[in-house]
Amino acid sequence: MNKALNLQFSTSPHLHSQANVSTAMRDVIIALIPVSLVATYFFKLNVPFLIFVCIASAMLTEVIFRKIMRKPLSLHDGSAVLTGLLVALCFSAATPWWLAMVATFIGVGLAKELLGGLGWNRFNPALFGRVSVILLAPWITFLNNEFFHWRVSFPGIDTVTQATPLALLQMGLPLPNMGTFFFGYPGGGIAETSSFALLLGGAYLLYKKHISWHIPVSMLATVFVGVAVLGQNPFFHLISGGLLLGAFFMATDWVTSPITKKGQIVFGVCIGILVVIFRIILAPTEGVAFAILIMNAFVPAIDNATRRLKFGETRTPVPAQQGVPVQKTS
Amino acid sequence: MSFKTFKGGIHPGYFKSATEGKPTVPARPPSLVVIPMAQHIGAPCEPLVAAGDEVKMGQKIGDSKGFVSAPVHSSVSGKVVKIDSCNHPLGRPVQAVYIESDGQDTWHGDVQPRPDYEKLTAEEIKKIIREAGIVGMGGATFPTHVKLSPPPEKKIEYVLVNAAECEPYLTADHRAMLERPEDIVTGLRLVMKAVNAPRGFIGIEDNKPDAILAMTKAVAGDSSIVVATLHTKYPQGAEKQLIKVCTGREVPSGGLPMDVGCVVQNVGTCIAISDAVRFGKPLIERIVTITGSGIMEPKNMLVRVGTMITEVVEQCGGFRPNIRKLILGGPMMGLAQPGPDLPVIKGTSGILCLTDAEVELDEIRPCVKCAKCVDVCPVSIMPLFIGGSVEHGMYDKAEEFNAMDCIECGCCTYICPAKRPLVQWIRMAKGDIAARRRK
Repeated sequence: MNKALNLQFSTSPHLHSQANVSTAMRDVIIALIPVSLVATYFFKLNVPFLIFVCIASAMLTEVIFRKIMRKPLSLHDGSAVLTGLLVALCFSAATPWWLAMVATFIGVGLAKELLGGLGWNRFNPALFGRVSVILLAPWITFLNNEFFHWRVSFPGIDTVTQATPLALLQMGLPLPNMGTFFFGYPGGGIAETSSFALLLGGAYLLYKKHISWHIPVSMLATVFVGVAVLGQNPFFHLISGGLLLGAFFMATDWVTSPITKKGQIVFGVCIGILVVIFRIILAPTEGVAFAILIMNAFVPAIDNATRRLKFGETRTPVPAQQGVPVQKTS
Repeated sequence: MSFKTFKGGIHPGYFKSATEGKPTVPARPPSLVVIPMAQHIGAPCEPLVAAGDEVKMGQKIGDSKGFVSAPVHSSVSGKVVKIDSCNHPLGRPVQAVYIESDGQDTWHGDVQPRPDYEKLTAEEIKKIIREAGIVGMGGATFPTHVKLSPPPEKKIEYVLVNAAECEPYLTADHRAMLERPEDIVTGLRLVMKAVNAPRGFIGIEDNKPDAILAMTKAVAGDSSIVVATLHTKYPQGAEKQLIKVCTGREVPSGGLPMDVGCVVQNVGTCIAISDAVRFGKPLIERIVTITGSGIMEPKNMLVRVGTMITEVVEQCGGFRPNIRKLILGGPMMGLAQPGPDLPVIKGTSGILCLTDAEVELDEIRPCVKCAKCVDVCPVSIMPLFIGGSVEHGMYDKAEEFNAMDCIECGCCTYICPAKRPLVQWIRMAKGDIAARRRK
């Protein structure tokens, strides 16, 4: 009878939730569609082209690294696609494709696959790639000169020349109308075009429970209070310079954020403080990216410092009475 | 009366609709029973009968000198065929008494009702409970009389009836509450008397409003017992979580419910206690939920201990051809079996038959540190770190991450999007740590 039944044998639990890594990645990608569409409206085909370049190079990089390291392919988990998309969104639409490609290669190849693949990376791959190409400026200049003739651009690129709102603020120039700025304004990076679209995506992720409110809220609140105290318009800071992209999509990355809720709040507040410092005291470029990457490095320390009390444990330990009352019957 | 909930936990589907509306039906009296000598946690029993002996229903056929143990009784009258090993839900074959029924079901002379049971003293009640072989019937099978014998310095204030039945699929306790509410209350009162506890709780999840109503009616007029409406969440029926929710007390890490003045009893155990004390009936039958999409007719059945699973399944129309997993107990903590050739024992709350689609296993992926396991862990430990340690053979590290506090509820494995077998790894760590501690 047993043989006929062909029963599977395993230990409990025998029920599993439907959630898996691929669907989570898919949902994040869905959450980024609105902002991509708004950017496409402003910058036309340049945006889909750049996104395509980044996603394709992310997938290719992952395949190459996995082949070299003799690991099974993992494209189906969707993380390569997501990283590629995020890298693209960090750039301005006028970014030459080879630059985006280098950034994606560094992000997926070096920051993720070399460290062991998804789950083992310490730094947010997309931000790592984005920031690397800033730090590799001399090499990038060389690349720009070499590749200039292969530049691809579509109509609509001229809008990109507008200064970012954050730069306007820094230079003391008049700012655009707040509403325009919130719903759609073609300045800065692709993901900086519409705060509204980003919030929509963030709300979707919260609704799907892929992220919790702790990191975005603590991060945004810290920046808001920080810049307000230092005498600048906090609302403009909130909706400019990729802060929302960072708060909802970058800092909340599962792999590179703390485990406990308390740790997540500490993480968010620290990022917020760094953002304020970068924006007010240092140059107004990529402050959010640097802030998140710096705090990524501290995640293990934060996890360690914010360990929760386990059930039945108190801060002042009392000796627990142990054991079953075993009475010897003779 | 509504109560706050505990930290963590998950909301799996209930899957209870197939059987919750079906009254308990008695199973056909078995022609052969196989009664394992170990149906409890603790010292296994020694057989008191030999092949060829005539036995009566309710006769004690196995006992042990160990304190943490419970005797076993014949669930039929008839003749002992042999004493041999049999398969056991825990996986290791155990010694068992095989009894062929004479079909008469003649009770043993010791089985006598006690009309004046209300006059029994605490010690007498405990002795009856021990002699009746009563164990925790939620599945843990810890001998009940041991639970009721705390050291004298530990005063018990609360007795809690665990009626949460938080495991999906199972409806045995639910049916018991609808069909025998008075007996549950009697059992509870007897336990309160045995441990001299002034207050009682009956904790029921709010997805069983009819059971809450029935129990509230049964305790009407008794202000010492409170029917607690609990939030429906797994593992609401975990002992420590139930205590926390009902009394606000937290059992210390490594401690027992008695450390915070509590004793927890399952619904089925209360009925068994009532039957044993009032009618002298030892624990020889129990309600079993036979369910899942791999069975023809899901049912709640009153089954004699020792009835072969195959025989029970037959009475439910048999397995469907696409059955892939046979589980004794619920889907979250039950034990999968390699086959149906084993008997129902005192702790068998359910026979769950799952099919292909339900048992599909995804590939195990690296941890993405989403912290969902941390969020759902009812004892606030960090399963991902223990799992990671075990994966790399670092058991001492697992101990530092509080592996020993794990209650093995399985929430972490359930929720993990990378499909990592977290609770399974933690069990491995616990086994290793316990072995090292014994040295």
